[in-house]
Amino acid sequence: MDLRPYFDELERFADGQMSPAEQDAFELRLEQDEALADAHAAYEQLTADLRWAAGHDTLRLRLQALDDRMNERGTALARAQHLTKRRQRRGAVWGTLGAVLLLAAGVAAWYLARPTQARPTRNWEAYYQPDPGPAVTTGLLHTRPLLAEALDQYQSGHYPAALHSLGRVSATNVGADTLLYLRGLMLLRQGQGNAAQLYLRRVSDDNATSALARRARYHLGMAYWQAQELAPALLTLRAVAADSLSPYRASARRVVSAGVLDGQ
Amino acid sequence: MSTPLAETLTQLRVGNQKSLVDFYQRSRHLFARWAQRKHQLPADKAHGLLQDTLLDFYDHVADGRITRMPEDLRAYLYGMAQERIAAQVPAHQPLPAAEASRRQRLLAQFSQLSTDCQQVLTYFYFRGYHFEKMGGKMGFPNATVARRQKSTCLRKLYDLVRGGYEPITGEVV
Repeated sequence: MDLRPYFDELERFADGQMSPAEQDAFELRLEQDEALADAHAAYEQLTADLRWAAGHDTLRLRLQALDDRMNERGTALARAQHLTKRRQRRGAVWGTLGAVLLLAAGVAAWYLARPTQARPTRNWEAYYQPDPGPAVTTGLLHTRPLLAEALDQYQSGHYPAALHSLGRVSATNVGADTLLYLRGLMLLRQGQGNAAQLYLRRVSDDNATSALARRARYHLGMAYWQAQELAPALLTLRAVAADSLSPYRASARRVVSAGVLDGQ
Repeated sequence: MSTPLAETLTQLRVGNQKSLVDFYQRSRHLFARWAQRKHQLPADKAHGLLQDTLLDFYDHVADGRITRMPEDLRAYLYGMAQERIAAQVPAHQPLPAAEASRRQRLLAQFSQLSTDCQQVLTYFYFRGYHFEKMGGKMGFPNATVARRQKSTCLRKLYDLVRGGYEPITGEVV
């Protein structure tokens, strides 16, 4: 049924826009005019359907908007959680890395510092057994004051002064080999391994079986090592280690068995 | 056993949809977990299913198919959702019901109107605003203009219902 011919009246009646008189007249016509009554029923159905459609559409839009908001909130929360986790993970990684590095540094420091048989130290000082020389006695002071002074300075660690004093000692009073030996010792203690070799070699070569020569041979070996001449150092110290009469046999063996002069 | 027509149902009938919107907000996550567990539905599909189910429920209340509020609304809605899945109803399609086709046509025609016309008709027929309030909401100068605009929009809708007309999308003047 086409409502258009009745639309104005039906709308004004339904919306309460008629005056009381108009409304009474319209209600009377509704009872008498069948076509108008059908149009009124169709109009009521249309507006009822429209009410439903508007409500349905409104609910749909509201649910959709809420869904979008909740999705956005969920995404934002997930992003925030992801960032927090990433920050925590990064912190944990850096922390672990730092701890590992610290531990590694500690282990490395301990490993390098430990003086063990497994990894012997290559420090010359650690193996050198010094010879303090003859003791400075009252008798020595009276008989050979210059030698006593040189020995005292040597034993106090004043090597340049000791060398200077030793230079003033006459070979007639002390003996040439002793002077050469002491000079070699002093130069060695002063860190002049090259220069020390000259004196110590002469002593060790002159009378190879004497006690002084045996002592000089050990210090000559150590002088070679100090001068980084490792092959002759090893050769000389092996000879000392094999010499049962050498007072430095144990020290020489220690150097040889530690292998600090091998493979360099 | 159902409770007598409850306040919630009355509110729904007069257009207060807050209870359904609140239900969606409260239950969306749990419903998605249920749908995932029972029917292996991904979250976005489950959200769409819950929206369609709530729209169905609203339709049933609006057209009188539900006259008593279910005692356990949650169980009732989950049951409706399960029926939709079992019937393999495509998303955003209503369940078959008496008069559904006529109403669905009208809904489709309603959506062809301009946004302003949809708003005007919603304010008047769904919200129940009088012309003065509607004029204020829409920015019309007075109630008379609001009444004319409503009348124009209703005629446009009726023209669409009668058919044979192109969709009307013009703005309210």
